[in-house]
Amino acid sequence: MRTLELVLRYRVAIILGLTLACAAVLVPGFTSTSTLSLGLDRAASIGLVAIGLTVLLIAGQIDLSSGAVFALAGIVSVILQPTLGIAPAAVVGILTGMAAGAVNGLLVVGLRVNALVLTLATMLMFRSLAHWITQSQPVTGTDIMVSLALAQIYLDVFTLRSALFLAAIVLLHWWLTRTIPGRNVFAVGSNRVAAEESGIASGRIIFLGFVFAGTLAGVAGVLQSLITNTGSPVFGSELTVAVIAAVVVGGTRIEGGRGSALGTLGGVLTIGALTVAMEFQSVPSYVQQVVTGLMLILLVVLDRTVNTRGTAIVNRPSAVRANQPAPGAGT
Amino acid sequence: MTDMVGEIDEIGKLREASAAPASRFRRAGRLADMGSKAGLVVAILAVVAYGALASPVFFTTGNFVNVATSMSIVGIVVVGMTFVLVSGGLADLSVPATIACGAILSLGLQPMLGTVPAFVVAMALASGIGLVNGLLVGYAGINPIIATLGIGTIGLGIVQAAVGGVIVYGTNPASAEFVKGRLLGVPVVVIIFAAIAVAGHYLLSRTFWGRWTLATGGNTSAAEASAVPVRAVKAGAFVITGLVSGISGGLLGLTLQSARPLVGTGYEFSAITAVVVGGVSIMGGFGSVPRAIAGLVFVQLLTNVMALQGVRTPVQGLVLGALIAGAVGLDAVLRKRGGG
Repeated sequence: MRTLELVLRYRVAIILGLTLACAAVLVPGFTSTSTLSLGLDRAASIGLVAIGLTVLLIAGQIDLSSGAVFALAGIVSVILQPTLGIAPAAVVGILTGMAAGAVNGLLVVGLRVNALVLTLATMLMFRSLAHWITQSQPVTGTDIMVSLALAQIYLDVFTLRSALFLAAIVLLHWWLTRTIPGRNVFAVGSNRVAAEESGIASGRIIFLGFVFAGTLAGVAGVLQSLITNTGSPVFGSELTVAVIAAVVVGGTRIEGGRGSALGTLGGVLTIGALTVAMEFQSVPSYVQQVVTGLMLILLVVLDRTVNTRGTAIVNRPSAVRANQPAPGAGT
Repeated sequence: MTDMVGEIDEIGKLREASAAPASRFRRAGRLADMGSKAGLVVAILAVVAYGALASPVFFTTGNFVNVATSMSIVGIVVVGMTFVLVSGGLADLSVPATIACGAILSLGLQPMLGTVPAFVVAMALASGIGLVNGLLVGYAGINPIIATLGIGTIGLGIVQAAVGGVIVYGTNPASAEFVKGRLLGVPVVVIIFAAIAVAGHYLLSRTFWGRWTLATGGNTSAAEASAVPVRAVKAGAFVITGLVSGISGGLLGLTLQSARPLVGTGYEFSAITAVVVGGVSIMGGFGSVPRAIAGLVFVQLLTNVMALQGVRTPVQGLVLGALIAGAVGLDAVLRKRGGG
């Protein structure tokens, strides 16, 4: 039991290690610095969105619209380039993401509806908006040099995007573990009622969580669009599953109340390594989807079975658990 | 009402912590019931009236046959999705995968097995996807949206891999003729939809299984205490949805005589929109097949009027999204009157 617990506790590191080891053996050229830098850069795109989702999941919420926000923010940043210039357009793109997050947050907190269903609806709306603005055609930016500048590699490994992602992870880790607002997020996620009783404004925290997630999806989308010099309404359509998989691999619980920035880092790197390895072996994209989906399902199942067993045996009989007055804490 | 936590604690989150007396909850439910029923009828009539005034094409037999045919394909899925929502299973996002499975297999296996056996195998495999969803949601207790999102991705990937990511074409034109044909002036697809809808309504409102489904969605712990096999009921809802989506996909494939892996994209949203707009509670425990179909009629007529008016597809998506959000919000507000 103890070894099992240890394995589960450090499963992110184990999964990541195994993935990297397999990739290094099976994929020729995987260990070169250029591959590493490419993989890190690709992972950073998932990673920025995953950072926002980590906070939301810890708070017991979820955002399924991030893929659509990703596309929308990118399109806005590209389409406004001729009128505003590149940098202001990028800022407006990020603000679009922030606004989208605020819409999600307002609706979830204001209407008190399930975040899963609501963000499903807003996903459809943001995606439609993206198609509407672009007439379903990809749009191109004005200056190709920007993408070259952004794709530049520093210190042999880092691109601007991957450096930004790593810095954000460190900040998130500090924020979640060392600050009071960070701790409050955990409180809201593990037991919203108790958190409110203790004087935590859970509605505000959840709203800000959505704004944060939207902003980061916006940043990721804008960067993606600037780097590819394109905004497309279909960008990010496979992002949602990959991001949720990354966060869940990182040990953040779907039901809220548990999660860590470093875990998410591990999850993101795992998904990134898998993607790059499979692309190097020219595995078709639908097989990659199968692998990501399988990983997500297996880990969620693992999480469930282990957690329920642990809590049920240790301190809560199932009858008590089922009748608990506090939503969010049970099961 | 606070002991609804259990399996559906996501839904429980929506509720206030403080206990609401059961009678007040029921009163709020009845209010929501009557309000939304009247609202739906008025809304459908309003769309019909507007359509008749705004477009000369709207009130023609041809248009209604078109609407009914396209409605039937979604409608078959709607019947299953109603069970998912009523049982407290939130939604089934693997519908595009099961539809693709039904469409691709029923066409792809035609040369080998013949039309009818191919259709049956396709349905069986689609139900298999539903069964996996059901096991994950009902027995492993995974969040339904995460489970079906993951299984949908996997299923779609496998289906694509099986056919190499290409389009499959039909080989038996006679089957297409049958599906596209009419019986006593009514399209065959519509008849199949009507049969499934009647069967679904009977199952949900007149049988023990339907009572169990409503009980499970309304209050999982109470249902479990009353010896309702809640896990099987939850799983069953997803199997039903898998089966009907398979049928829907098969019919779609036979009608089009070609099936792309992405043929089912968007059907999950159309089905969820219809069910939710029909006033079936996303929190479970409340709803019926006729309601969901009324929602479907409203949404389809609205889409039809928008299309006839030249409103572009993205705008229609925007309206659909707003409808889901609005209906879910309204449901939460109406149902919370008693909850405080």
